Amino acid sequence: MRNLFPPEDLARDDRFVRVPAEARIEDPRSNGASNPRSARLKPSQRGGPDGARSMMHGIFVGEIQALEGAGRTCWDFEAGSDEYQVPFELKLDMARQCWDESRHVEISIKLSEHMGTEIGEFGESAFLYRAACNPDPILRLTGVNRALEGLAIDVFNSMREFGKIAGDPVLTFCEDWMLADEVTHVKMGSDWLRKITANDPERRTRALEFQRVVDKLFSFNGLRGDDEDSPVRLARRFRELAGFDDEEIDAIAADALEAKNETASVESVGASA
Amino acid sequence: MITVTPEEFTMVEFDHGTILALVTEVAETVGHDASVDITVEIDQDIPLIGNELRGIDPVEIFVEGGAFEDPKRIRQFQPEAARTIVGRLLLMAADRRSEDFGEVPPNEEISLLVATAWNTYVVGRLDRLGFRSQRQRRLYNFRNRHGFTDTGDAAFDRLWTAESLTWAEIVSLSDDAAAARPEAAV
Repeated sequence: MRNLFPPEDLARDDRFVRVPAEARIEDPRSNGASNPRSARLKPSQRGGPDGARSMMHGIFVGEIQALEGAGRTCWDFEAGSDEYQVPFELKLDMARQCWDESRHVEISIKLSEHMGTEIGEFGESAFLYRAACNPDPILRLTGVNRALEGLAIDVFNSMREFGKIAGDPVLTFCEDWMLADEVTHVKMGSDWLRKITANDPERRTRALEFQRVVDKLFSFNGLRGDDEDSPVRLARRFRELAGFDDEEIDAIAADALEAKNETASVESVGASA
Repeated sequence: MITVTPEEFTMVEFDHGTILALVTEVAETVGHDASVDITVEIDQDIPLIGNELRGIDPVEIFVEGGAFEDPKRIRQFQPEAARTIVGRLLLMAADRRSEDFGEVPPNEEISLLVATAWNTYVVGRLDRLGFRSQRQRRLYNFRNRHGFTDTGDAAFDRLWTAESLTWAEIVSLSDDAAAARPEAAV
């Protein structure tokens, strides 16, 4: 079995259609900044329930890719203390994460049935898994467990709120349970980053820089933000529980605000043209 | 006469002839009165899924480009989605023109709850005509507006299976379901 499995080769049945990143970038309607949802998703909005279905399908395919990513991290690195090896206990943590992600996939399928979404109804992007292809295990952990699983915390918390407002007990419970697991996954990333780079500040800096790059890539043109009306609100309390300090959370909030302002500026140029 | 605009699509990969043929087929399937003209205006610049009935004689249908787009394939046309949207709006136009149905207020005066109830009644009829209806999706939408309650689900079933309702009956079913929401009792 090979190491470093490419995203193009991930196995899917014919219900799934992969949307290439270029297709989004080359979409002439996007003006480089397509962001159709600029306010917090609420059940009372005309397209609120359909927006929630689309968001939950994105989470569903994200769970599949998180399972694949954690599984690869178990396999791709030998146990040991060299730069491209990992402690055996880290592999155990990744195996536990695989178990969690498998459960999340099952929950997401049930949730799709509840919300009336067909498996594969929306296109799948492979960008979560791409972050899990970094050859450095610590960069992979910061990119996936801290940046992307951190984003999952924000999304799950936002969707849990959506379920509460709608009075939907199924969505609320599912989000709450998965949210608890995500906090654990992010904490694993935080703990291993500190442990493995304890005597290697240069590597820690590189890992945190990679995390920031991934965070920025996944800011979705300002979709995530710190203010109450953000479509995906930064879940400060849960991030603290997952090992983020205030400075790190403030940096994510600042990057998200910058992305939002950049999008507004591009859209304003597009509108005036 | 049926008219589809624009005649040429540059932002999305839609084909004018395909859409015109689809609207013609749907009009026949839902029993549209052939003496009433239909215009379908597609705003190809907007990747969102908004759509509305703007007139009933002639029938004026407006859709944002994303409404006819395949959610799996960016900028590609999805006939199933287009059929259901056109069929739904044509049936709504027929309801509005029917004296038996009763007077319907202008779109902007219809609450989201009642609009969802009417939508349920219309898509239920499309389901029986063989259109893609996504019943569970419609139920989820209805529950989000009217509450996750047995009373709400019963109202949904009544709307979905009914062959002939009046506007007043739709409003009444919507109101009764909304009144059963837990917070409505507080």
